[in-house]
Amino acid sequence: MSLTPIDWIIILIYLGGCMAAGLWMRRYVRGVQDFAVAGREMDVNLGIASLAATELGLVTIMYTAQLGYEKGFAGSMIGVIICASVWLVGRTGFVIAPLRTAGVMTIPELFEKRFSPRVRWLAGLFVVLGGLLNMGIFLRLGGEFLVYATGLPPGWLEWVMTALLGLVLVYTALGGMLSVLVTDFIQFLVMGVGIVVTSVLVINHVGWDNLIAGLQTAWAAGGGAAAATAPAAGEAAKAGTLAAHPFNPFHASSFGWGYLLWQFAFQIAVATTWQTQISRVLAAKDADTAKRMYRRTAFYFVGRFLLPGLWGAAAFVWFAQHGGLPKDLTTLTAMPHYLAIVLPAGVIGLVVAGMLAAEMSTDSGYMLTWATVIYNDLVNPCLKRPLSPKGQLLLTRLLVLGIAVFLLFYGLWYELPGNAWDYLAVTGNIYLASVFTLLVAGLYWPRANAAGAVAALVLGAIGPLVFLFLGKAYKIAPEVAGASSFGLAALGMIAGSLLTAAPAAPSASASART
Amino acid sequence: MKDPFLLFWAVLIFASIAWYAFLVFYVGWKAGGEIKTMIAALSGAEPVKPDDPPRRAP
Repeated sequence: MSLTPIDWIIILIYLGGCMAAGLWMRRYVRGVQDFAVAGREMDVNLGIASLAATELGLVTIMYTAQLGYEKGFAGSMIGVIICASVWLVGRTGFVIAPLRTAGVMTIPELFEKRFSPRVRWLAGLFVVLGGLLNMGIFLRLGGEFLVYATGLPPGWLEWVMTALLGLVLVYTALGGMLSVLVTDFIQFLVMGVGIVVTSVLVINHVGWDNLIAGLQTAWAAGGGAAAATAPAAGEAAKAGTLAAHPFNPFHASSFGWGYLLWQFAFQIAVATTWQTQISRVLAAKDADTAKRMYRRTAFYFVGRFLLPGLWGAAAFVWFAQHGGLPKDLTTLTAMPHYLAIVLPAGVIGLVVAGMLAAEMSTDSGYMLTWATVIYNDLVNPCLKRPLSPKGQLLLTRLLVLGIAVFLLFYGLWYELPGNAWDYLAVTGNIYLASVFTLLVAGLYWPRANAAGAVAALVLGAIGPLVFLFLGKAYKIAPEVAGASSFGLAALGMIAGSLLTAAPAAPSASASART
Repeated sequence: MKDPFLLFWAVLIFASIAWYAFLVFYVGWKAGGEIKTMIAALSGAEPVKPDDPPRRAP
């Protein structure tokens, strides 16, 4: 066990503070609007804290460190692309400005105004399917970090994560977005301190010059494979060499141009479509606040990949110089094990609290978001009579509970077909490509209609689903699955709209833009 | 540091550490004030009465 009593005291104070703050906000929840979008009272800095805390989970730290371990600093190029995408969207207001102005609570709700109730329901189904599958591995990866960083017995993983999810569940189900915003704020502070302290200690431990020399030596030893697939990069890294160029992400052995171009399209879609990000846009006071929130958060995404990536690269160099990676560790679990070696007593308590903060803010934000979509877009449209405000709240809270139960069981048995990042990108793509196509066409193309929307939803989901279930057996590249879904969704929208009757005027897209 | 990519990553790593440290203090201070304002606004809002007509999503 790596934790000392002082570490435990820090962790318990943090957990107690979060619970108290989350439960305190329950008193301000008067209806679903307060529960789902915090009464649209969120201002820009709180939005930055909440968005940053939600989008930087323990799962993020694990997979970005894995990329750093296998691909060196070049593995963090995706963070740079995300930064550029988020800034671009924040600068132009592309999609997010008209979406916020439309006054909806979820993205599928806009599709009812623009297309039809059936499109809203179908889009809601895809949003939930992709979102829940994506979130399914959060607990397992978060638990692995805690086990390896703290020295807890591996058999405790399920129990620790169940207890943690239980805590998050209580304040999320009771206080909704209001609790999530306030706990996100606390978690943003604790997590920020933990990340900065860890990064400084890691550089100090491994030594900057030694880190660079270690990566260069491993790349030279690896010989620079022509094109390192994720498994090849992983196997080489386990053996203490690098099959991927550690600094040049455009090199054929690293990501290469094709993958990075796909990522750029993918991240534009994420910034405009990913419901957990968009829920902050919809909770913002107005479109201008949402745009400022995006611009000011953009650079945060570089560190989101690069700093855990730095820890992963440092772990790689350290293990390569100390007899190689132990047999019971993988490229995913190497980083937390390394941190347990680097961080002194007292500091590790702060860092574990920071990582718990990362996990909790992500879990709460995601559970609330998907529960809101299920209620708002799948259940509510099917009701003959609207529920009372109390009934709406109760149902949404039960949905949060249901998602928590799903997370526990799915997270325990699913085996990743590739590395964690590819899994997350592809499951997210189940709805990202198609819903992004619907949003862009719905807001900016008056000729788009319901038939095109349905075709785009169905065709856009094919590529990612094939990868998810057959990717391992048939060795399908993630960028092929991902890029094909964008192409198929666009094809479905254009062909479906042009081959059927034009939508009745006046177009709802005009009202959405006002 | 002859490799331009190496220089690129070194600048980004140290800028990220500085940016995260700055954000913790700056956003922490500002967002704390915004939470107070949000709570004040929510406290002043008229609560939903049990006999109010049910409302659909806006």
